[in-house]
Amino acid sequence: MSIRLHLFSKFRAPSHKVAHAILLCVAVFALLGAGDPGSRFSEIGHQMMCICGCKQILLECNHVGCPSSDGMRNELMAAVTRGDSDSLVEQGFVQKYGPTVLAAPTTRGFDRVAYILPFVALFLGFGIVIVIVRSWKNRPVPAIAGGLRPVRGTELEQFRDQAGKETDL
Amino acid sequence: MAEIGSFALLLALALSVYTFLAGIVALVFQKQTFVPATEPGSKTARRNQVADVGSGSSWAALLRRGSERIGETARRAGIATFAAVFLAAVVLVLCAFRDDFTIAYIFHHSNRDLPAPYKFATLWSGQEGSLLFWSLLLAAYGFVLRLRYKTDPRLFAYASVVLAGVQIFFLLLVNFAANPFGILEGALRPDGSGLNPLLQYPEMVIHPPMLYLGYVGFTVPFAFALGALIMKYPGEKWIHITRRWTMVTWAFLTCGVFLGAHWAYSVLGWGGYWGWDPVENASLMPWLTGTAFLHSVMMQEKRGMLKMWNMWLVFATFWLAILGTFLTRSGIISSVHAFAQSSIGSWFAWFLAISFVVFVFFFFKNKSHLASEHKLESLVSRESSFLFNNLLFVLLCFTVLWGTWFPKISELVQGNKVTVGGPFYNRVAIPVALLLLILTAVGPLLAWRKTSLESLKRNFLWPTVGAIAIAMFLMITPQRWGSPFGLRPWQDISYFYSLMAIGLSVLVTLTVASEFYRGGRVISKHTGQGMFASMVQLTHRNTRRYGGYIVHFGVVVVIIGFAGAAFNQDKEQEMANGDKLTIGSYTLICRSYTDDDAPNYASEWALLDVYKGGKQIDTMTPVRRFYKASQQTSTMPDIRSTLNEDLYLVFEGLNQDNGHPIIKAHLNPLVMWIWLGVWIILGGTVLALVPNAPAPVRVPAPARLEHVQTSPVATGD
Amino acid sequence: MMWLILCLALAVASFFYVFYLPGRLFLGPEKTRAGYLRERKDAVYENLRDLNFEYKAGKVPDSDYTSLKSSLQDEAATILAEIARLENNSGPQKGTRS
Repeated sequence: MSIRLHLFSKFRAPSHKVAHAILLCVAVFALLGAGDPGSRFSEIGHQMMCICGCKQILLECNHVGCPSSDGMRNELMAAVTRGDSDSLVEQGFVQKYGPTVLAAPTTRGFDRVAYILPFVALFLGFGIVIVIVRSWKNRPVPAIAGGLRPVRGTELEQFRDQAGKETDL
Repeated sequence: MAEIGSFALLLALALSVYTFLAGIVALVFQKQTFVPATEPGSKTARRNQVADVGSGSSWAALLRRGSERIGETARRAGIATFAAVFLAAVVLVLCAFRDDFTIAYIFHHSNRDLPAPYKFATLWSGQEGSLLFWSLLLAAYGFVLRLRYKTDPRLFAYASVVLAGVQIFFLLLVNFAANPFGILEGALRPDGSGLNPLLQYPEMVIHPPMLYLGYVGFTVPFAFALGALIMKYPGEKWIHITRRWTMVTWAFLTCGVFLGAHWAYSVLGWGGYWGWDPVENASLMPWLTGTAFLHSVMMQEKRGMLKMWNMWLVFATFWLAILGTFLTRSGIISSVHAFAQSSIGSWFAWFLAISFVVFVFFFFKNKSHLASEHKLESLVSRESSFLFNNLLFVLLCFTVLWGTWFPKISELVQGNKVTVGGPFYNRVAIPVALLLLILTAVGPLLAWRKTSLESLKRNFLWPTVGAIAIAMFLMITPQRWGSPFGLRPWQDISYFYSLMAIGLSVLVTLTVASEFYRGGRVISKHTGQGMFASMVQLTHRNTRRYGGYIVHFGVVVVIIGFAGAAFNQDKEQEMANGDKLTIGSYTLICRSYTDDDAPNYASEWALLDVYKGGKQIDTMTPVRRFYKASQQTSTMPDIRSTLNEDLYLVFEGLNQDNGHPIIKAHLNPLVMWIWLGVWIILGGTVLALVPNAPAPVRVPAPARLEHVQTSPVATGD
Repeated sequence: MMWLILCLALAVASFFYVFYLPGRLFLGPEKTRAGYLRERKDAVYENLRDLNFEYKAGKVPDSDYTSLKSSLQDEAATILAEIARLENNSGPQKGTRS
């Protein structure tokens, strides 16, 4: 319960091309943001984990006297002030602390599968549902369940009327 | 005392094994004389109220009578199981109250100075106790089910056997793998090692029971579904019978999930309510499939469609509830919640495998019974909207499952673990959730079977205009008005999502309102009543549909609460006496700080005056506690909630050099909407459980049929 | 010793409760075909009422309404006819409706 992120908390949009269309659309908005060192520090810091074992986002690790987070924050601040690019900062952290320091899988190599698969499943699912709906629409009317025989003539009319009357508003 | 508890658990196991075996024997023999009602030949096979002993001369009648009596003993053994498990639970709680530290479980999860409610909560605060509690809840559900068997004795007998199967597993666990009555080895200790301080919070007393009621509860619809499949239950009446069970269970699970979120928010002190931890995910997954089931089961009830899918969905919900427990207790996936790891992981794995095999076996054996009865008239219909709804729910569930397992998969494939935290879910789950929100808006406007695009456009126009207008308003208003105004989607992607979420929430609200209005108008025309009275009557006549709409409304209120997180701010500062901290429109001034001592814990806290617009509006006291028995520290944030925003103060600790407190202030907009929305969801669910009122217009019974029901107007969904 | 007696009493009590079955058992009415058909009828009636209601609420246009209603009435008529046939054959009887 201690990864400290909200459903809608701020995050930097992927700077690499991601396979799914939705994110491509929204990424355009996000790229307009990045600016001063303060906001970059906050953005990158929210993409990293504190490695002390508390499983919290680096900038949200809240226990005073944490053996790791202060040092990591200082490193991050130094890197941002130096003007290192986002990916350079990330690489530096990954080399030093291992890949689990990133709060989410990267968009490189096998990690990409993490993002692609749910959207592949979404489009595949949509396709399947559309195919199912179409085939259901086009299939012949199933026989009436329970072995019922259709009725005809006056009997049909009589019972149709009865059903109509009994369900009228 | 412990001996009585252990014995009660053994007795419960024996009884539930008997329920299971005798139940099967009874059903197998009864089945031989049963003619399904769907067959045209089965005209009047009636047993009527009592077993007809007089005609028991033939062998078949004797067999039948015998099997009926065995069936009754099985039912009673099921009831007695509950009594035995209940006794075991009472014994454990009594041991906690008597500070009986000879029992290892009590020693590890309680101490003498622990307040009484937490001693009670010892029952579910550790591995062994919570498994006993799980067994107890399952037995309690079984108890109610077996008491209410008169509704449909055959179906209930099948469900009872399935339930007993699951019960046996949990009783095996508490008897042989995780016995809560195990004796502490070594010398008797004077005091227990105490309850985890994070769990010492009032909600901790109700959060686990609610969540477990939800988890365990889904066993009941599953048991009915599997029972109906095995016996080839004629018709869809079983869904009608289980409808209330499913809704109540769903409400418990919803309540449990959100209580967990609220507990995290109020206790953990990081200013958030959801961390995408595997345990949280484990509770979300069955909730998602359960919600999908609640929707799609209507297709089966009304149209005789999606029968196979529903069977899988209810199984998946049951299975995921168990899988979640497996994930967190086996140590396979690391979680902050992890219980003491033990061998029970393999027990769960076996149970998951066996239940899967049993389900798949009966599914393929009786698949022909699940054939669809109708075709789809139109692509634009309530039916197809339910299909897409199900797709998105299941997909969300898959995403959560995928994210939970990905670290493990990554380790297998590329040799290193990765972290899958909030940023991942934000990127993947939010777009899907927004699609689901669109569907929530459109779905209710679609009629069953067929809707003309013309009428859809007409009914959709005004809600869309309204939603766009409000979204535009939020976009162009100045940011100094505070959240959620001044939402510029181009500034940050989280603003974009927030705006979408709020806009779609407005859309859903307006379509729900228009449904009430349109329905009310029909009733009003019919009865001449005023609009409000008509809408009340409308709701009363079809509580499930309109209760469901209120649940939808509650959901969008929750979503608006989530959307507020895009504007979260926080600030950390050392605060000596008289120091100032400004966050948003609030100014905090430290009046004093001190420490305190209580029997259970020692505490440090700060007293901060809160000013807004130059006027003092409140005094807040964030606290940090040190629990003596467990030697652990815990923060107690002070939260000032308003509809607009929460001011959330955490006492982070003391500066080692000068002894000044370090205070972290969070400003979290709209959080209260989440808790408000949950109340609305629960209210809507309770409303949906109320029986429908009969329609005032009654149709005289025609001569040919004795019992023509005078059903309410539009009793479906 | 005390706990041994208690456990024994517990075992005896549950044994007695489970296996002592005086009187006659409630087995409930067997689900008859007529009862099953009545459930089906109720479902079709509900759908008809829904359709009427949605028509009046302006969700279904006239042309669709007529054809949908007609097909539902056909289904209802088939079921009603079968129920009537069953009742004529074996005399009226109560179904298993809730």
